[in-house]
This record gives sequence, structure tokens and C-alpha cells, in this order.
Amino acid sequence: MNPFFMEITFNPNAFWKYLQYPFMQKALIAAILIGIICALIGTFVLLRGMVFLGEAIAHSAFAGAALAILLGLDPLLVIMLFSVISSISIGYVNEKKMMKDEIIIGVIFSFFMALAILFISLMPVYSTDVPSILFGNILIISPNTFNLLIFFSFLIIIVIFVIKKELYFMTFDEESAKVSGIPVRLLTYIFLVLVSMTISVSLKAIGAILVFAMIVTPAAAAYQLTFRFNRLLLLAGFFGVFSTVGGLYLSVAFDLPSGSTIVTLITFIFLISFIISPKRRLAHLAHLPTECPYCGEVIDEGSCEDPDCPQSDTPHSHVAHDDHRRGDVVIDKRKLPGKTPSTHEHKGP
Amino acid sequence: MTTKTEVDTFSTRRSLTPLICINNAVVAYQNAVALANINLDVYEGEILGICGPNGSGKSTLLKAILGLVPLSHGTIRFYDKDQQELTCVEYRQDNNLGYVPQVHNIDRNFPALVEDVVAMGRYAQIGFLKRVKKSDPYIENALRLVGMWKFRKRPIGHLSGGQQQKVMIARSLANDPKIMLLDEPTAALDFRIERAIMDLIHQLHQNQNLTIILVTHRMSFLREYTTRVVCLDKSIIWKGEPSDPKLQTIINQLFFQ
Ligand SMILES: Nc1ncnc2c1ncn2[C@@H]1O[C@H](COP(=O)(O)OP(=O)(O)OP(=O)(O)O)[C@@H](O)[C@H]1O
Ligand SMILES: [Mg+2]
Repeated sequence: MNPFFMEITFNPNAFWKYLQYPFMQKALIAAILIGIICALIGTFVLLRGMVFLGEAIAHSAFAGAALAILLGLDPLLVIMLFSVISSISIGYVNEKKMMKDEIIIGVIFSFFMALAILFISLMPVYSTDVPSILFGNILIISPNTFNLLIFFSFLIIIVIFVIKKELYFMTFDEESAKVSGIPVRLLTYIFLVLVSMTISVSLKAIGAILVFAMIVTPAAAAYQLTFRFNRLLLLAGFFGVFSTVGGLYLSVAFDLPSGSTIVTLITFIFLISFIISPKRRLAHLAHLPTECPYCGEVIDEGSCEDPDCPQSDTPHSHVAHDDHRRGDVVIDKRKLPGKTPSTHEHKGP
Repeated sequence: MTTKTEVDTFSTRRSLTPLICINNAVVAYQNAVALANINLDVYEGEILGICGPNGSGKSTLLKAILGLVPLSHGTIRFYDKDQQELTCVEYRQDNNLGYVPQVHNIDRNFPALVEDVVAMGRYAQIGFLKRVKKSDPYIENALRLVGMWKFRKRPIGHLSGGQQQKVMIARSLANDPKIMLLDEPTAALDFRIERAIMDLIHQLHQNQNLTIILVTHRMSFLREYTTRVVCLDKSIIWKGEPSDPKLQTIINQLFFQ
């Protein structure tokens, strides 16, 4: 055996064996909750184009954690304070359009990183809590952190479902949302606070460096697969939970760090979604989905009405007229890209 | 298509009760003044055309009316059916405003179907914490009016510019508006769709007793479809009937100097 590498052993039953102990039960509950809240919040973060805001919040949260360790306070509340402060200040600068948001995010991001390093260097002895915040460990969540995680997770889920419709409208078209009487400003700040809370409560489990991946990647994977908003939320949540729980299982079975196992798993899911995405398959075809790629004529009746149909650009019909399940797609082979048909017809439904 | 005589009949339909009164309105962005000293009344049932060169403040005027940009000076007041004086926010509690913005750069992959976008128009009516019903008759009506019913299951980002424009009009219609504000609804559309949308607006005005404020560059549209025209270049240069021969001279001055 190579002495420089740890031996990797696979122990498939470890997870089930430990599940009778409270620490593993807690880890499982934490994994499920974190998977859900990160995916829900992440979906809106992605749609609102605020991906790097999440990164800045994660780093300010790390600075908060460093300060808490230095002063011997409860980390979660200090973390939350720091991340709320940074997200609100970014949101304020953004609202007043004082400068491009990438500039302010860059400034705040590096400032909090500097603060974090400062706090760590002030510690009389190097605390082992520092790497545990940086890299996270879902198996050693303190009871206090666990209770706060449960409380904030339910709070986040409830608030998101209360303001879901309005947030969706704002994300699509802020000005029209204002004209409809939606309190856009208030909801923007509420949302920023929700993002901060999500990152703060997930920090201990996933780690400051990787928590951001749990926000972006499940949502990004789901985004590849559907045009329907509710389905997007559902899929993102499913991917989130699948990767946190699956990652927890694998990290116990292989004795690997939980944060990186979870993130590796969700990235893998993202890759698969990206490859099988019907959206990208549409993208290289004609500029209008309703246009026949060969004759350029607009197909009103002949093309599929299912927005998630992988073939909706290509003239085709479904075996059963009302049935838009994917497996039933029938395509005229002559009309596939790469072969120019001499004549073709548009099939009606 | 509208003929000259029709224009005359519907310009006389204009009632004399003002719906919106704009008094000495000034809008400034940072340091630049975008609108200076605007005095304008909008009457119930009219189609008010607004024209002016690029950067003349047309969009800003619509946004000021909608309360989207703050006034540095002056007032904009709405009047409801009891002639009560209201601000924009107060007015839209009982009366709906339809707004079709100038540009929509919709992400191709945005997770919204045509029907979802039109459903957003219902949010103001159904209120907080309630869902829009799938079978909401306003959504179906609005989509049928603009001829986009059969596209209701398509992703919004996959439609052409003209089709998206029609969906945006449907969205503002789903709100059952009293006043509609359209910012260059036919910009960047081909001739056929341009006409179709203008005819649609005309038809809506006739059938639903709407008051419409329409920003457009096109002289022919001002003549054929509006009941009154305002020429704008930071301040109001000219106000009058679209049939007035002076309109052409004003436009020539504004655009070709
Ligand atoms: N958000 C903004 N911040 C700063 N200045 C602005 C903003 N929006 C518009 N302006 C300025 O205000 C002036 C009027 O702009 P506005 O968009 O109202 O013009 P417009 O008449 O609609 O032009 P167009 O025909 O191009 O649509 C312009 O000089 C523009 O540069
Ligand atoms: Mg404009």
C-alpha cells in the first residue's frame, strides 16, 4: 500500500448501522432540510441572476464564524448577522444603482475574506473549529445549531411559499410587478435575508467554501430540464435532497468529508441534466420553435404543445393525440437535421 | 383598417372628464432632466398618442404616470368615477392599470409558459396568498383576444418578438385595466404584425371602453389610430388633433433637424 494515501474502504452498511444513533438521525434530518432550502432559494437566486451575491454572502458568513470562534460566542447567530449585513448592503447599493453590482460584490467579498483572516490570526491558539467551518461536517452539528437549523428551515420554506407568486413575477418583470401593486422593494430585501439565512444555517454542514454550490447547482440542474416553474422548484428540491442524503450516505460509507461528497454528487447530477437537457437540443435549431427548420414556414398546429418535449422544434406528432409523454414521439426520419428533405409535410395533431 | 371618417367619429367620443392630471411634472435622473414642466390632462376614453425622438422622455413620462419613477417637482393625480382625487397608488387599488413596457429581453430559457406570463396579470386582482386558477376566464379571454391561445403552452422565451409582444398585451389585458399604457408596442415588429397589433389596440379601445396612452414614432399610426397627439422633447412641444396639418411640420422639425 502506498503510505501517502489513505486507504479507501467501502462500507455500505455503515450508514444503516449508525442510523440508530441520534447523531446520524440528526445528520439525516439536517441533510434533508438543507437540500430543500438551498434548492428553493437557489432557484430564485439563479433566476434573478444573483449567483455571485451568494458567493459574497458565504464569505461574509465565514468571517462571522471566525469572529464567533475568536470571541467564544455561538457561531450561528454571528454568522447570520454578518451575512445579513453583507446581503442588505449589497442589495441597497444595487437598488440605488450606485455602481454595477459586480463591483460592490467584489469589494464586499474580499473585505470579508480579509476580516476572516484577521480574526483567525488574532486567535491565541489555532482553533480546530476553523477548518470545520471552512469544510463543514454534517456529522458534528451541535444541538443548538441543529435546533436553529430546524427553526430557520421551516421559516424559510413557509416564507418562500407565501411570497412565491410575487417573487416569480418580480423576477420576470420588476416594473410590471410594481404596477400590479406588488411591494417589490420590501420583497427584495426579504429575499436577501432569506438567502443569508439559508447560507448561514447550511454553513456548518457543507462548509463555507462549498455552501454556495448547494445554492446554485441543484437549481441549475433542474433549470436544464423544464420550462415549468413549479416543476423547476420540485426538481431542484429533489436534486438537492437526493444529493445531500446521497452524499451523506456515501461520505459515511467511504469515510469521506461530507461537504465535498455532497457537492461532487450534485455536480454529477448537473452534468447529466446538462447533457440530456431538451433546452440545449432546441437551441441549435431554427430561431423560432414554431418555425419548420426546413421550409421556414410557421407551424401553428403541427408542433408539439408540451414545453418540455425534446422535439418541439422538429415537425412531429405523438402516437396518442392527447398524450404528450416523451416516449411517444414519432419523428419523420427524413426531417432530422443533417438530411435535407426534398418534400415534407407538417403533421397536424 | 381605420378610415378618415372613423377617426373623426371616435375623436368626438372623447369625454371631457380628465382621468389623469399632470401638473408641472419634472423628472430628473441623477443630474440630467428627462422631463421638464409637463402639463397634460388625459381624458377618459381617448387614445392619446405620444411621439418624440429617441431620448425625448416618452418612456419616462409613462413611468412617471405609473409611479415607477419619482417626480422631482409637480404632481400627477388620478380621478376615479366619483371625481375623487387620488395618487397612482391609491387609484390602482380599485382600478387596474395595464402597462406594456418598451423592451422585454426575455431569457430564452426562462421557466415560464405563455399562460404563466398572462397569469401574472391576474396577481393584482386575486391578491396575496391565493393561486391563479388554471381555468381563469380572464386569461383565456386575453389570450384569445390577441390570438395567442394556441400558444399558451409554449415557453415564453421561444416565441418571436411579435408573439412576445402580443403576450405582454394579453398580460396587461388579463388585469382588466381601465387605462392602458403602451410603450412602442410595435417597435421592431414586421409590417404585418405591426398593423395587427395596432388594429387590436383599436378594437380593444372600441369594445372595452379603455383609455389608452400609446407611445409610437409612426406618423401613420398617430393619424389613423389616435384621438389626440402630444409631441414631446423633454417638454411638450405640441398638443393637438392627429388630423391637424401642423402635426407633420412639428414632426419634421423634431425628427429632421
Ligand atoms: N434609468 C435611467 N437613468 C438615467 N438616465 C435615464 C434613465 N432612463 C432614461 N434616462 C435618460 O432620460 C432621457 C429620456 O429617456 P426615455 O427612455 O424616457 O426616452 P424615450 O423617449 O423613451 O426614448 P426612446 O425613443 O429611445 O425609447 C434620456 O436622455 C435617457 O438617457
Ligand atoms: Mg422609450
